[in-house]
Amino acid sequence: MSRSLSTRALVLPGLAFLLVVFVVPVLFMLKVSFTGETAAGDYFSRFFGSGAYFSVLITTLRVSVVVSFLTLLVGYPISYFIYSRPERQRPVLLFLVLVPMWMSVLVRTYAWMVVLGRQGMVNSLLLDLGITATPLKLMYTTGAVYLVMVQVLLPFMIVACFSGMSEIDHTFVRAARILGASPGYAFRRIFLPLSLDGAVNGFVLVFMLSMGFFIVPALIGGPKDTMMANLIEIQVEQADWGFAAALSVVLLVATIAIMFLIRAASRRFTFSLAEGTRP
Amino acid sequence: MTRRPGIFLTAYFWIVIAYLLMPVLIIVPLSFGRQEFMHFPPRSFGLRWYVEYFSSTPWLESTFRSLRIALSSCLLSTFLGCLGSIALERGHMPWRGFLSGMFASPAIVPQIVFALALFIAAVALGMTGEELLLIVAHSVLGLPFTILIISSALRQIDPTLERAARIMGAGPVRGFFAATFPSLTPSIVSAAIFVFFISFDELIVALFVMGDKQTLPVRIWTDLRFELSPVIAPISTLMVAFTVIAMGIAEFLRRKAVQQKSQMGKS
Repeated sequence: MSRSLSTRALVLPGLAFLLVVFVVPVLFMLKVSFTGETAAGDYFSRFFGSGAYFSVLITTLRVSVVVSFLTLLVGYPISYFIYSRPERQRPVLLFLVLVPMWMSVLVRTYAWMVVLGRQGMVNSLLLDLGITATPLKLMYTTGAVYLVMVQVLLPFMIVACFSGMSEIDHTFVRAARILGASPGYAFRRIFLPLSLDGAVNGFVLVFMLSMGFFIVPALIGGPKDTMMANLIEIQVEQADWGFAAALSVVLLVATIAIMFLIRAASRRFTFSLAEGTRP
Repeated sequence: MTRRPGIFLTAYFWIVIAYLLMPVLIIVPLSFGRQEFMHFPPRSFGLRWYVEYFSSTPWLESTFRSLRIALSSCLLSTFLGCLGSIALERGHMPWRGFLSGMFASPAIVPQIVFALALFIAAVALGMTGEELLLIVAHSVLGLPFTILIISSALRQIDPTLERAARIMGAGPVRGFFAATFPSLTPSIVSAAIFVFFISFDELIVALFVMGDKQTLPVRIWTDLRFELSPVIAPISTLMVAFTVIAMGIAEFLRRKAVQQKSQMGKS
């Protein structure tokens, strides 16, 4: 028993560290966001009262949802491809997906700036081939933000979908096939619903990471692509920390609330897919 | 799956891999170019921008600052994560789920939120610009990963061996280092490498709390924002090479540790 107690005590240094460096500052920031007041009332009425600030939240939500759907759409078939290969090949194929994930987001964004810029790779190619007479505006567009964010977040989705698939008991699919289901039918009614757990995990993870995105919208997006993290940084630059704290609280609450919503909605969707109430 | 994927799915796979690897395919040739302005592909090749980087004091200063901070935070975070994992996995902890959730929270809260919280606290304490502050911040950001990696390794190590060592008369510390620690080492090294790169790549916290003492990511960020100098290409290339090699080693160690254990289970 005393052995167990002294083992338990080993959690204390890490826990104390977490409390001092992480929990206390975050709680202090919450306090700042709620107690601070400006001439125009408290920070939250300033945020929700102004269309300009509120629309940044809407942009953040829209970009995060679109990016999550796009990564799912692009990533799920990739996971399925890796899953369908012989077991010995899988680690190598997964490695190809993991390598880009380890590269700094800053470095990857820089590479895209080289590709998409006015005198960038795409434009000089188009001009040389005579397809366009003037360089296209590719940078500072919403489309470019999607292109780069999907590239950055895709590995997370692929890994999540893949690990969901590797947990499926394959005898279910075989049973369906023996009972006369076509490969497509067995995929739709058995494999797809079972693999959805991993897909939902990936969706939630990508959504969560998107909500806090900072580098890509700042360097690749235009003024209308400003996201919450960028707005927070602008407030810090202008030394308006109280309002920045309130924005952080809004971002945190929105992120957590939507994550719960996705989980709840996905459970109903998976269920109906397996029941066959949806075609 | 015994069904062979069609030619379309195979082609699609390689197109997506090309999309994912595109930055490397661009940056590496670009770094060996010689012209003033970014142009791809470069018209003439040379080491001009590498020389520029290695002879620039501000760039080297930021690089060494980042290396120092990354090394310190990976040691601190791995040490704390190791102790925490032992307690969580071997201590029959009450509220184990709650504690695990606590340790995971720095990975869930958006980094900008933590960066701002720490910044406000640092201003109140007059601690902005201190390297120590960034070291503890990066250690906290690494903690969820060290706990995750080391805990899952501990779960696969049979505690019987350590119990046997204890029965034979080893003390708790000696028993751990003789029986459990050797099979835990690959996971600890792998966790340390992960945290090193979490710190080495981290921008937002450093941007807020470090003031004019710029780390390498902050310098790159400032440069990308205002001037886009060609020195970024060789720096990016070196960073990518460094990261891919080290993370490859980390991933290899982690997989090897898991494989060994599953083989031990089978025999």
